[in-house]
Amino acid sequence: MLKLFGYLLKQGVATSGDYCAPLAEGVIGLPKFTDEVCAGTSCGACQTECPTQAINVTESDGKPDVTLDLGSCIGCAVCVRTCPTGTIANDNRTKVASDTRLDLIVSSTSKRTTSSNTTPQGIFERSIAARVVSTGCSACDLEIGACNNAIFDMERFGIHIVASPRFADVLLVTGPVPKAMHSALKSCYEAMAEPRIVIAVGTCAISGGVHKNGYTEANGVDKILPVDAYIPGCPPHPWSIIDGIRNVMKRK
Amino acid sequence: MNPKHEIVPISDREKKLNDWLKKPGGRLGHITSIDGKQLITLVLDTETGSSFCWETPIEHSTYPSLTHTVPQSHWYERTVWDMFNLTPTGHPRLKPNLLHESYAPDLVPLAHVEVNSLTAERRQYKPMEVTGEGIYEIPVGPIHAGIIEPGHFRFSCMGEVIFNLEIRLGYVHRGVERQMCSVPWRHQRFIAEAAASDSAAANAYANAIAIESLCEEATTARAEYLRSISLEVERLSMHISDLGGLAGDIGFLAISATMSRLRGSALRIGELLTGSRFQRGFICPGGVVSDPASNLMQIQKMTKQLQIELKPVLQFFFNNQVANDRMEGIGRVSPRLAIDFGLVGVAGRASNIDYDVRRHFARGVYRQDEIAIAIETAGDVMARARVRAREIETSLYLIVELIDRLPEGTVRVPLPEKLKSNQIGLGIVEAHRGELLHLIFTDNDGGVKRYAIKDPSVNNWTGLAISARNNLVTDFPLCNKSFGLSYSGHDL
Repeated sequence: MLKLFGYLLKQGVATSGDYCAPLAEGVIGLPKFTDEVCAGTSCGACQTECPTQAINVTESDGKPDVTLDLGSCIGCAVCVRTCPTGTIANDNRTKVASDTRLDLIVSSTSKRTTSSNTTPQGIFERSIAARVVSTGCSACDLEIGACNNAIFDMERFGIHIVASPRFADVLLVTGPVPKAMHSALKSCYEAMAEPRIVIAVGTCAISGGVHKNGYTEANGVDKILPVDAYIPGCPPHPWSIIDGIRNVMKRK
Repeated sequence: MNPKHEIVPISDREKKLNDWLKKPGGRLGHITSIDGKQLITLVLDTETGSSFCWETPIEHSTYPSLTHTVPQSHWYERTVWDMFNLTPTGHPRLKPNLLHESYAPDLVPLAHVEVNSLTAERRQYKPMEVTGEGIYEIPVGPIHAGIIEPGHFRFSCMGEVIFNLEIRLGYVHRGVERQMCSVPWRHQRFIAEAAASDSAAANAYANAIAIESLCEEATTARAEYLRSISLEVERLSMHISDLGGLAGDIGFLAISATMSRLRGSALRIGELLTGSRFQRGFICPGGVVSDPASNLMQIQKMTKQLQIELKPVLQFFFNNQVANDRMEGIGRVSPRLAIDFGLVGVAGRASNIDYDVRRHFARGVYRQDEIAIAIETAGDVMARARVRAREIETSLYLIVELIDRLPEGTVRVPLPEKLKSNQIGLGIVEAHRGELLHLIFTDNDGGVKRYAIKDPSVNNWTGLAISARNNLVTDFPLCNKSFGLSYSGHDL
């Protein structure tokens, strides 16, 4: 046992002090728009190649306009690789969470403005208890698990995971919520004491992702429960998840 | 390596399959259907690395169940009943597997035949009841206490001892297989990756092999190496995570915390290789999407560093007396039952089944002699942990070795828009949980008419139910973690 303690001491501090550090070079995040002008509907390569129909290319008054739904994006970077004009590029930010579904739909002509109605004194500012309900492929669950490891260590921000909805202030839902999970998710929500918050974690939870519009009605959490915040990504980076929870903690 | 197609009449099917399973190297790969008019039985020969697709025409939507002589078919027959409305007559415990009460009774997602009026009774699910004095039930789930996927466990216990465990799945059934047929094949890989994201690389790899075989094209040597490296990195990170989870359930928190930190290094290696922590969007039919040439030196360096860091941690874990006491003799699956239920991957090898797709269906990159297959005979939690630990070593060695031998060249070949018509494509990969199969049937126009996925968990869930028997309720978490199964990969 002493040898083990010796080993642990030798490993030093693993925890990252760089809050919401940008993604390292070469790492794929969500797409963003640059100032380069799009080639318009005559090109439309990104729209055809996008596997989740998250991109829509239109033209108004001869000016091309591209809209991109980050809530449907699975971060495959196919649009970034196919865009001939460089209008779409890789976004290395990890602060991507948003309060409303509409905020996730960005446009090449009007840049995204983050409208977070956060105030410095939220009721959960110092501590929040989170219950995780998984209804999907486990990538988002593993990333929420990673938030708990020594590197990201979300407990230092006052966020802790609890094992029952009775103790929880916030419900983190991952996955597209297919039909067999509808009633289980609702009863979990109803078991929580008010005030309660719901966060949709990951693209599936926001829109159904690659599973949407199927016979299993797996079209995201907001078809079942009122959602208070959205964390896009497939899966979101641990920093994005921590930042998304921190945002709701600041809310009044 | 496309499976050879063969028509097997329904009268011969039982005998033929039993004979196949008795011969050395004979394995059952999958039982499914294309559109509800036939049964497809995929059988594998692990000695020659070949596969056969037996097609059995079915009339009146019923066929005799094989569960009595081929126990491992019990699970497949339930799924085929749900998805195609083909009824296995004589199945001892026929009940829904994937579709729950909330689905309309006449929904038969994958059948293309007229279905008769179906009643809601068909969706009813009754868990097996164990009766007797002092027997009580513990229901768990679908939502679990930890951060894992949903599933329902029902323990029938006598005191602290588990008599029977019934596992009910299907809560994350998202309709993956039907969705696969509704998109162009070049978009299939994204859905395949989301079938079970902890096996994203393996699923994308199996999809790529199947599509390439339907185009009769092969990718470049360099791409084949990079895919294998990606697969090994995935295995490495998930094995580290599963061993860490096991330590956590024992209460050995120093090890579990260290393992989750070291898993971060493995994910970083994957990120350097593919640009994604879960290696998503990297492997595609025709090769890989990008060449990580400039990062290879760093990947090798980090892998060697991880090798050094992991060694003492694994030693501390396996030399600890308390950990040994908790793992030894717990959750045993005998080799006989492991064969009967067709266990694969770590669970199979821990019960003395010498089967690893990397060796038995070798795809060039893996030289036969270098895959040191870890075999244990005890079949308990300890055996599965030891197999994992040894596979971590093999994966670390392979990553370094494959980078050393990496051939020069391009990493992607163009594939035709249209697949070959009326063909069967098979992708078979050793995912970190075991044998993963993707089976594709094309129609007259080269479109995909049926896309079947068989996750290794399909075989192994029964193994978990067996392992829990006659063990203490408190030891169930250990049994569960030692298998480390996927809910989403099973439910699709």
